[in-house]
Amino acid sequence: MVRITKILMAAALLIFATTATAKDTLTIGISQFPRNFNPNIESMLAKSYILAMARRPFVVYDADWKLRCMLCTELPDLKKGTAKIVTANDGEKGLEVTYTIRPDAVWGDGVPVTTKDVMFTWKVGRDKRSGFSNIEPYKRVAKIDVHNDKKFTVHVSKFTCDYRTRYSIGVLPAHIEAKNFADPAQYRIKSAYETDTTNPGLWYGPYRVTEVASGSHIVLEPNPTWWGKKPAFKKVIVKAIEKTSALSANLLSGDIDYIAGEVGLTVDEALAFNLRTRENFVTQYKSGLIYEHIDLNLDNPILKDRRVRRALIHGIDRAGISTQLFRGHQPISHGQTNPLDTVYDKKVPKYRYNPPKARELLAAAGWSELRKGIRYNAKGERLQLDLMTTAGNKSRELVQQVLQSQWRSVGIDIRIRNEPARVFFGETVSRRKFPHMAMYAWISAPESVPRTTLHSTMIPSADNGWSGQNYPGFANKAMDKALDDAEVVCDEEPNKAVWRDLQRIYAEELPAIPLYFRANPFIMPKWLKGVVPTGHQFATTLWIEDWYVGK
Amino acid sequence: MNAPQSMARRMGRRFLQHRLAVASLLTLLLLALLSLGAPLLEDLLGLDGQTTNLFQRNQPPSLEHPLGTDEIGRDLLARLLQGGRVSLAVAVVAALASAVIGTMIGVIAGYYGGRFDALLMRFTDGVISLPLLPLLIVLAAIDLSKLGLPPSVTQSEDVSLYRIILIISLVGWTTVARLVRAETLTLKQREFVRAAVAQGATAGRIMRVHILPNAVSPIIVATTLSVGNIILFESVLSFLGLGIQPPVASWGNMLTNAQELIWSAPQLAVWPGLLIFVTVIAFNFLGDGLQDALDPRAVD
Amino acid sequence: MFRYTAERIFQSLLVLLALSFAVYGLIGLMPGDPIDLMIQGDPNLSQADAKRLKAIHGLDRPLVERYGAWLFNAVQGDFGYSRNHSQPALDVISDRIINTGLLLGLSLVLSLAIAIPVGIYAALHPYSKTDYAVNLACFAGISVPPFWLALLFIILFAVVLGWLPAGGMATVGDGGFLDRVEHLVLPVVTLTIASVGDFTRFMRASMLQTLRQDFIRTARAKGLSMTRVVTGHALRNALLPLVTIIALSFGRLFSGALITETMFAWQGMGKMIYDAILGNDYNLALIGLMFATALTLIGNFLADLGYVWLDPRVSLSDRERTV
Repeated sequence: MVRITKILMAAALLIFATTATAKDTLTIGISQFPRNFNPNIESMLAKSYILAMARRPFVVYDADWKLRCMLCTELPDLKKGTAKIVTANDGEKGLEVTYTIRPDAVWGDGVPVTTKDVMFTWKVGRDKRSGFSNIEPYKRVAKIDVHNDKKFTVHVSKFTCDYRTRYSIGVLPAHIEAKNFADPAQYRIKSAYETDTTNPGLWYGPYRVTEVASGSHIVLEPNPTWWGKKPAFKKVIVKAIEKTSALSANLLSGDIDYIAGEVGLTVDEALAFNLRTRENFVTQYKSGLIYEHIDLNLDNPILKDRRVRRALIHGIDRAGISTQLFRGHQPISHGQTNPLDTVYDKKVPKYRYNPPKARELLAAAGWSELRKGIRYNAKGERLQLDLMTTAGNKSRELVQQVLQSQWRSVGIDIRIRNEPARVFFGETVSRRKFPHMAMYAWISAPESVPRTTLHSTMIPSADNGWSGQNYPGFANKAMDKALDDAEVVCDEEPNKAVWRDLQRIYAEELPAIPLYFRANPFIMPKWLKGVVPTGHQFATTLWIEDWYVGK
Repeated sequence: MNAPQSMARRMGRRFLQHRLAVASLLTLLLLALLSLGAPLLEDLLGLDGQTTNLFQRNQPPSLEHPLGTDEIGRDLLARLLQGGRVSLAVAVVAALASAVIGTMIGVIAGYYGGRFDALLMRFTDGVISLPLLPLLIVLAAIDLSKLGLPPSVTQSEDVSLYRIILIISLVGWTTVARLVRAETLTLKQREFVRAAVAQGATAGRIMRVHILPNAVSPIIVATTLSVGNIILFESVLSFLGLGIQPPVASWGNMLTNAQELIWSAPQLAVWPGLLIFVTVIAFNFLGDGLQDALDPRAVD
Repeated sequence: MFRYTAERIFQSLLVLLALSFAVYGLIGLMPGDPIDLMIQGDPNLSQADAKRLKAIHGLDRPLVERYGAWLFNAVQGDFGYSRNHSQPALDVISDRIINTGLLLGLSLVLSLAIAIPVGIYAALHPYSKTDYAVNLACFAGISVPPFWLALLFIILFAVVLGWLPAGGMATVGDGGFLDRVEHLVLPVVTLTIASVGDFTRFMRASMLQTLRQDFIRTARAKGLSMTRVVTGHALRNALLPLVTIIALSFGRLFSGALITETMFAWQGMGKMIYDAILGNDYNLALIGLMFATALTLIGNFLADLGYVWLDPRVSLSDRERTV
């Protein structure tokens, strides 16, 4: 008994000790552990979240959705001559973009970040064997001119309006990585980011990685060579806890201080968790560029009829789902463009919950006969649709069951059929095997043109090797033109006009049923200040030096 | 005819002495009755386990909803009844299927003996020694259409149900197989079997008429116990995201879904958890009681 | 004896080979791969990217060819690279073995420390009130969904009472002995509760059976006290089948560890294998499953050796859990 008491006392002391030192250590809980640490091999949320504390991209969107330089000195600009449109011999419009690396930018081991690193990264990116996930920016770059250690000009074969962000590559430290690239096919395995993750020379952010326990946690400590504002915490620990019920219990028990919004709980989980524990924590919900929707297979004879598609959207109470299930934190969407985006058109056609209208449209489309509450057409076919989504995504499964119930009440028989994510995305959606409806989300960047998801040349088929992501099979000439124009018509007013068209066509034709924009819940202790959710793919940790302990 | 009757009576008496087993049997009968009568009960009480109501989420118990509502406004009692139907049906069917497979393998191995027996038993040992859960995870994620199953099966809402039954019966037969084999080995030496062999009865007939009826008690006991285990296992599979998929309710997926709600609506977790616990424990006691009652060596 | 051993080792290797092929094939039957998953959710990646990446990761070759290559390297001691950990598969697994070993070992010791005395006591007082209570407790432990128990423990001991950490292996930056012990308590207790019931009931049944045997009656008739009889004669006999059962249950222990490890964020084998299978990390999944199976086969082998040594009449009479 005495021994147990001793252990308990020691435990109590330990807990006391950790709370006493909590002010200079911040423990963040996230729900997945990154599979690797190389910034260019595979993009995954957990990795970008952690890397953002220890590395900074050239250009980012800030919390106000404005472009900002982080590693460069100023944004390239057509007006200032740091970006130039050039016409090649064949008449194709090309581009030259000039960047200057911050003069004070140095790697954690004191070696300056220079154009050498840029050239090295470009070399790695161009090599097909290196295993970068997205090589588009490297492929498009025909040539890089090096002016000096810090200044370089990128020559691009195709001009697009997003030139300021598109070539913002993640530089790799040439002085460390060059030898690991000796055999390009082995690079992803040999990279120091994987084999020697705590090497200070890999990092140039306010923090650097000092400890990695695979699958469990990562420790970051201030980087002495960081050129910006000194961060407030002496240590940041990022812990991965996959089960969200365990994650929230860890927060309550004090084992973690804060659950990251970007890679943490879903809104319904956060709402469920928060009811009883409001006084210790502040939850900030930030909706953003994760677009939840239901793709409709337009090859299906039932869904080919636009009246049926409109009936579907009139038949569901998206506003009700948003306010009741998500307390309004996930605003309903009227299309794939986010209202926070500068190109958003306020006057885009909107559909309201209107069951009588839905019934009317269905009847007009020939689904007029009701048997036991379900509609049939003249041929005696039953109005039955399959609604598929990822199994195990509780939030989607809940919404799905509500939708099923609501559609049933207007006479549509919905069959729920879910598959594990790997089956759903790996096979069913990417090969357009879903018979009617597939519910999932896109994550996009601000102002990004939805070419791959809406252009008629992007419909996956056996002929094109299943390339493209236009899974509904949406083919619309006006939409194709709008997409083409949106990429190259860059002046503000004409660009907005193109985007207006794009959004209007989307809303009228409904290749997909827009549901809502997903929100990220940031569950913070009251004392943590300065965290500003962004709502797009650039993580809050890009500004971690602004986080501090408040009263 | 007198002897077997008195034996049955003795068994009955022994079973009744095991009070926990009797209580368990009654509990299970009640649960089975409620689950079977779920549609009727729902009509009677005016409950609806299907229609969602966003304005009636997580309601406390009331006259309209005796146990309250779930997170999307469906009646919790109705859901529990439906879930019980699914959980019990899956467990019973899977346990019976494993028993059938196990009995066949066991009786064949025991009767023919020799190399055949050695081979079958090595195979059984092999299945027992496999790290089953990880393998089941693989099985649970396999794309059924790649196996050439027709779309009417792979695209059914109940496909997860069939899948679980199949997986469990594929690996759950080992216990019964071993027990039946052991029993067959001893029965083979008994007078009445030898007499039947001498009279020229076929192997199939001997196994069916003379061996199986006498090996039935260990099968019953093992099957009863495995029903409980399967219910528990279904909940574990649900926890891993590989169990019975919504909108079909099962106690396992209800419990798993309620995990996150433990802070805001703990009652949603308490009920399915309690039902799983009570049912599994009842099956265990029932099996225990049956074992005591059916064991011919047991003393009164 | 030597021939028997050699034969068994050969058989075990055959089983491992068959298993590795089966696992490879089964994972191959799972649709989609990590590259497909990577493509979804990122509209910037094209199918061409997918093709290129699949080639880099060797996913474009036929399954049998991939398996052949794997086997060829594995025989030479190269078990490949874990894609989801960005480390050699062997490195990933070696840490996890220790972690899981610690968890399973401690819970086994604790289970036995409870099961043996309690089982004996219950066997000596059959059908007493205590016996019923023990039986009830055993069944209760077996019948709780393990993840649910784990969650309740976390809530009670970590959140409400604040006595123990909610998960993890050690406090980051501490990692002292006491700290590690604290992190072990909840996972070990959870695992123990799930396994102690079976052990206790087995011990009780085995002891009851032993006590019925003639040599015990003789010993009693000679006037030895019950304590002497139990400790001197019966215990050894009753323990032997229990040892066999433990040896046979190695593979299952790994399965049991999965739930506990997931709930308590414990970096062990069970969870690693699970993640590797679902994440299509062939190399890691294979080596993990093979290791777990090898351990079971060794357990089986030792148990069989025991059979040869011991009274052949000793039989495994008690039930086994289905899964």
